[in-house]
Amino acid sequence: MMKIKMIAKQLTKPEVLKYIIAGIILIYIVILLIFTSGSTKSFSEVRKKVEKAISQEELQQESGQKFKRYYGLNSADYEGVMLYSAKSSMSAEEILLVKTKTDEQVKEVERAIEKRLEKRMLDFEGYAPEQVRMLEQAQISVRGKFVLCVVSPEVSVYVTAFSKAL
Amino acid sequence: MLFSSIHFLFVFLPITMLVYYLVPYKLKNFVMLIASLLFYAWGEPVYVILMILSILFNYVMGKDISERQDNLDKKKQSLIFAVVVNLLILGFFKYYGFLMDTINAIFPFKITYRQLPLPVGISFYTFQALSYVVDVYKGEVKSQKNLLQFALYIAMFPQLIAGPIVRYIDIEAQLAKRQIHITKIGQGAMYFIRGFAKKILIADTLGSVFVEILDMKLGTYSILTAWLGCISYAFQIYFDFSGYSDMAIGLGKMFGFEFKQNFHYPYISLSVSEFWRRWHISLSTWFREYVYIPLGGNRDGNGKTVRNLLIVWMLTGLWHGAAWNFLIWGFYYGVILVLEKFIWGRAMERWMPIVRRIYTLAVILFGWVLFFSPSLGYAVRYMGSMLGIGAEGLIDKQTMFYVTSNWLWYVVAFLGASPIGYTLIKQVQKVPTSRLGRQILSVGLYMGIFFIALAFLVTESFQPFLYFRF
Repeated sequence: MMKIKMIAKQLTKPEVLKYIIAGIILIYIVILLIFTSGSTKSFSEVRKKVEKAISQEELQQESGQKFKRYYGLNSADYEGVMLYSAKSSMSAEEILLVKTKTDEQVKEVERAIEKRLEKRMLDFEGYAPEQVRMLEQAQISVRGKFVLCVVSPEVSVYVTAFSKAL
Repeated sequence: MLFSSIHFLFVFLPITMLVYYLVPYKLKNFVMLIASLLFYAWGEPVYVILMILSILFNYVMGKDISERQDNLDKKKQSLIFAVVVNLLILGFFKYYGFLMDTINAIFPFKITYRQLPLPVGISFYTFQALSYVVDVYKGEVKSQKNLLQFALYIAMFPQLIAGPIVRYIDIEAQLAKRQIHITKIGQGAMYFIRGFAKKILIADTLGSVFVEILDMKLGTYSILTAWLGCISYAFQIYFDFSGYSDMAIGLGKMFGFEFKQNFHYPYISLSVSEFWRRWHISLSTWFREYVYIPLGGNRDGNGKTVRNLLIVWMLTGLWHGAAWNFLIWGFYYGVILVLEKFIWGRAMERWMPIVRRIYTLAVILFGWVLFFSPSLGYAVRYMGSMLGIGAEGLIDKQTMFYVTSNWLWYVVAFLGASPIGYTLIKQVQKVPTSRLGRQILSVGLYMGIFFIALAFLVTESFQPFLYFRF
C-alpha cells in the first residue's frame, strides 16, 4: 500500500492522464467491436441464427424474384439474401438480411430498403395506421457487410439475435 | 463530407467562412475547430470520438515528453509509449483484417473475426500526431500548451482526411498567429477551383474510362487498350489526389494558413527518384524524417542504405493499404530506387531527356498496375497484356472508341500534368493590358472553370476521392 502511494506521488499529471486516455481508447475500441462491428462469418451461419427468431406462423420465406420485385435488386449480386414477409396482406411485417460482396454494395442495399419502406408506408397510409407506425419504427442495422432490416412489433428481438449471430 | 459535394460547397463552406471572418480573432481557432469536428462527424459520426481521443492522447504525450527533458531514459520511454499506442491504433484499424486474412490463408483452419471499417483520414492524422511527439522528443518544437491549438493542428478540416500531412513544426507559428487578407483569400479560391476542376473534370472523366477497361475481361482487349487503361488511371490518380491537395491548400489559405506544396508535376520527372520528390511530397518527407534518417539513412555504408531504402518503401506501400499488392508496389519502388542510386543512376545522366522520361513513365505506369490491381495475379496478367502476352492484337475498336470519345480530356490531362497548362492560363490572364482588365479576366476565367466543373458534378455520377481509403 505504501509502495503504491509512493509511486502515485512520483507520477506527474500527464503521466497519469496518458494511461487513463490510453485505457479509454481501449474501452472505446472494445465497445465498437461489440456494438458496431461486422463479421467474417458466413451468410448461412448468421442466417441460421437470425432465422431462429422468426415466427414461421406469421411470416413466410420469399424467393429471389420477390426480393427483386420488392427491392429492385438481384439476389445473385450478393453473398446471400434472406427475405421473410407477412403471410397476411394486411401486415407490413418483413425481415430482410443481406450480406454484400463489397463495401460499396452496402449503401445500395440501404437505399433500396429506404425506398421499400417509403413505398410500404404509402400502401398502408389511410387504412392501417398501426402498420404505418410499425414501418416508421423499422430498424436498419448495418454491421460490416451484413445489412438487416426489421419491420416487426418485436424489432429488438431480431436485432439482438442478429447482433449475437455475428 | 467531401470538398466536391454540393453540401460542402454551398452550405458548410460559406457558413464556416462567414462565421470565421466575422468573429473576433481570438475566437477564430475555436470556430475552425468546431467546423472541423462537424466536417468529420458528418461522414464519421462514430469515429469522431476516436479522433478526439487521439488528440487528447497526443496532447498529453507532448507534455509528458517535454516534462522529462532532464531524464533521457524516461523521455525515451515516454516517446516509445506514444509511438506504440499510435501505431497500435492505426495498425488495429488498418491492418488487423489483413493479418487475419493472411493467417487464414496460410493455415488449414479459418478464424472468423469482427470487422470494423477504416476510419477516414486515420493514416493522415496519426502521422501528423507522430511527427509532433517525435519533434517534441528531439527538442525541435516545444510541447503545445494550448489544447485548442493542438486539436486544430490534428483536426483542421482542409487537410484532415487526405492530407497533405502537415508537420507540426511547419504550422506551429500559424496556429497562434496568422494573417488573413483578401489577396490570400483570392489566391486560396483560385487554388481551390483549380483542384476542384482537376478532380471533377479530368480525374472523374478519365477514371470512368479506366473503370470500363478494368471491368472488361482480361485477354479480350488489345495492347493499346491495356496501355490506355493504365494511362487513364495514372491521370486519374494524379488529378484526383493533387486536386484534393490543391483544394486543401486553397482552403488553408482562405482561413489564413500556408501548407506546403504536395505535388510538383511528377510526370515530367527525369528519374524515378525525382518522381518521388515531386509526388505526395508530404508523405515522402515524413518517411525520410521519421523513418529513413532515424534508421541511419545513407550514413552507414551501402548495405545499410539499401536496407533502409527497402524498409522505407515497403512501409510506404503498406501505408497505402493493407494488401499484398501495396506491399509489393512499395518493394518495387524500393528496388528501382536502389538500382538508380547504385547501378544506373550515373549512366542515366548521360541519356537524352526524352529517353529518361520514357524510362521513368514506363516504370511508373507498371507501378500503377500493381497499385490498382485487385490481386497480384491480375496485375501480372494485366502487365502481360501491356506487353502483348494474352492481348487481342495491337489495337482494336475499343481503343479507337475510347481515344476518339475522350481525346480532348487526354490533351487537357497532358497539358495539366505538365507546367504547360498552368503557363497557358497565366498567359491568357496577361492578355489585357490594364490591371483591372487582368483581374476581370481572371475572375471570369476561374468562375467559368468552376461552373463547368459544377455542371459536371451535378450531372455525372458521384466518385469519391481515391486517397480517402488510405
